[in-house]
This record gives sequence, structure tokens and C-alpha cells, in this order.
Amino acid sequence: MAPTKTTGKDVYSVILPTFNERQNLPIITWLLNRTFTEQNIDWELVIVDDGSPDGTQDVAAQLVKLYAPHVQLQTRTGKLGLGTAYVHGLQFAKGNYIIIMDADFSHHPKFIPQMIAKQKASNYDIVTGTRYAGDGGVYGWDLKRKLTSKGANIFADTVLRPGVSDLTGSFRLYKRDVLEKLFQSTDIRGFTMQMALAVTAKSQGFSIAEVPISFVDRVYGDSKLGGEEIVEYAKGVLQLWWST
Amino acid sequence: MTRAQQTISIALLVSSLYLSLYLELIPLPALIQTAIVPVLPFWALVSFGAWVLFRLGWGMLTFHDTPEAYKELMEEIKLAQADLRAKGVSVD
Repeated sequence: MAPTKTTGKDVYSVILPTFNERQNLPIITWLLNRTFTEQNIDWELVIVDDGSPDGTQDVAAQLVKLYAPHVQLQTRTGKLGLGTAYVHGLQFAKGNYIIIMDADFSHHPKFIPQMIAKQKASNYDIVTGTRYAGDGGVYGWDLKRKLTSKGANIFADTVLRPGVSDLTGSFRLYKRDVLEKLFQSTDIRGFTMQMALAVTAKSQGFSIAEVPISFVDRVYGDSKLGGEEIVEYAKGVLQLWWST
Repeated sequence: MTRAQQTISIALLVSSLYLSLYLELIPLPALIQTAIVPVLPFWALVSFGAWVLFRLGWGMLTFHDTPEAYKELMEEIKLAQADLRAKGVSVD
């Protein structure tokens, strides 16, 4: 059979929720463009900005022009939260694979080809980056931060036994229809959303694979892990234990 | 079946098993009955605690720091900034 130029090619959509990311946005877009172009992957970037007051949308407009037709900007009028930003972005994404990641370089686009390859290897529904397995790792955490993170992970792992080494990781590749299905059945509010997506996916029988990533945390000094967050996290884990 | 249902079912199973031993419903050698069976729950609890602590400690020992990734990223940021400025994107 002669090889034909398939019109049913895979398109990978990156959904990037932003709030005050004027400095990081152009660079992460540049990195994405470089990675996808080098690997000859058909890609698009959906920026979902929640009305950033720092001019993020102006930079986004410049990027839309520079990297046309790969980049699109979708705006919302207020800080409406991460979960709903993904749902919103998904409406406009054209790809059959969806990649979610952070805009602050903690997730490096260079791991995306590895995730894609892993997904193709056994047709996994989801591939998630892990900081805790293989040669995955973190830069910029002190001992206290490492303890908190590993402790939280062990707690969630013991209670939920999810079979995923990095439950709160948010660098993931999803099959589009899998993500759509998950959004319908998962409570997507709060920062325990990533955990909820993974656990719900497991309980619905979707297959998840992992790729070790290096997570460069440049803002660790600005610790978002107060006592309140820890309590909310524990509540989130127990809620998932009860309902999933 | 939710995780909760699974955990509770297994807990009930293990509890009734233990209860059958504790209430001497299954004949056991006297030594085991008097010296081991009563302390089994505490032993299980302490072992579990030790296991969790071990996992935490092991995690700290084997935590992988990635300074090379940081350096590489810093270089790439400089590259990106230069390239983007040249192409007319406002970069701080």
C-alpha cells in the first residue's frame, strides 16, 4: 500500500491558562514552537487568559501573529479558576490530543515528545509527568518543601492507592475524548483538581502511563503551602477516597 | 466500587478474621493465643507507622535534584528573549 499523506493526522493542543504571565508567556511559547517544529509535530496553543491586568493579552496577541496559525487567545473577564479555564480552552482546541501544563517553566516542553512517544507505544489514554519516579526530579526545593510534598504524596498514595507516582502533577497529555469525559464527571474546582482527574480516570478504567520530568521551581520562595492549603488538600484526598 | 467501599470491606474482613482468633473460635496453640493474638492490632499499627516513616525517609534520601535542568532553562530563556525581541515581541 503506497504511503499517503494522511488527513487524519494527530494534532496536539496545548491549553495554557494564564494570569499575569506577561514575562513567561512569550518564552514558553517560543519553547513550545521550537520543540514541536523540531519534532515535526502538528500543534496549537490555546491561551486562556483570565483578564490579566499586566498586559499578558497584548503579548499574547503578538504571539498569535508571530506563530500563526498555531496560537490562539481566548479571554475571560475575571479570575475564574484553573479548572474552568481548561474546560473553556477545550471548546476552542482543535487537536485530538490535549496537553496541559504550567506557564512558568516548571514544566519544560522538551518532555512533550517523550510523552507523545510513550502514549503511542501502547495507546495510553493519559500520560503524566512524574517528579518522583525514574530520573524525575525537582530543582529549587529545600528540605521542608520536599518533606511536605513527599508526605502529601505518601498520604494520598496510601489512602487512594492510585497507581500513579505523582498525583498532584499537572503536566499531562490526554486523549481529547478522555479529557472531555473526565471533565463531565469530576469536580474541577480547587487545586486538588489534578489529583481528582487522575483518580477518576483510574476508577473509570482509563490507562495512565508516566514519563519522568524535571520540575524547575523558580518561585519556591513564595510558598503557597500554608496550613490552610494542607487542610484543604487532606479534605480533597478524603473526598476522593469517599466518592471515587 | 469506590476506594472507600474497598477499604472498608477489606477492613471488615480483616476485623472479623481477627475477632475469630481473639474469641478463640479457631483453635490455636496456647502460647500464640495468649501472647500474640492480643497484641496483633498494636503490632500492625506500629508496623504501618514504621513503613510510612521509612517511605518518607527513603523519599528524602533518594530525592532527585536537577540543577542541570535549571542551568539549561536559564540558557534557553536568554536565547528565547533575544530571538523574540528580534521578531518584535515585547519581552521584559
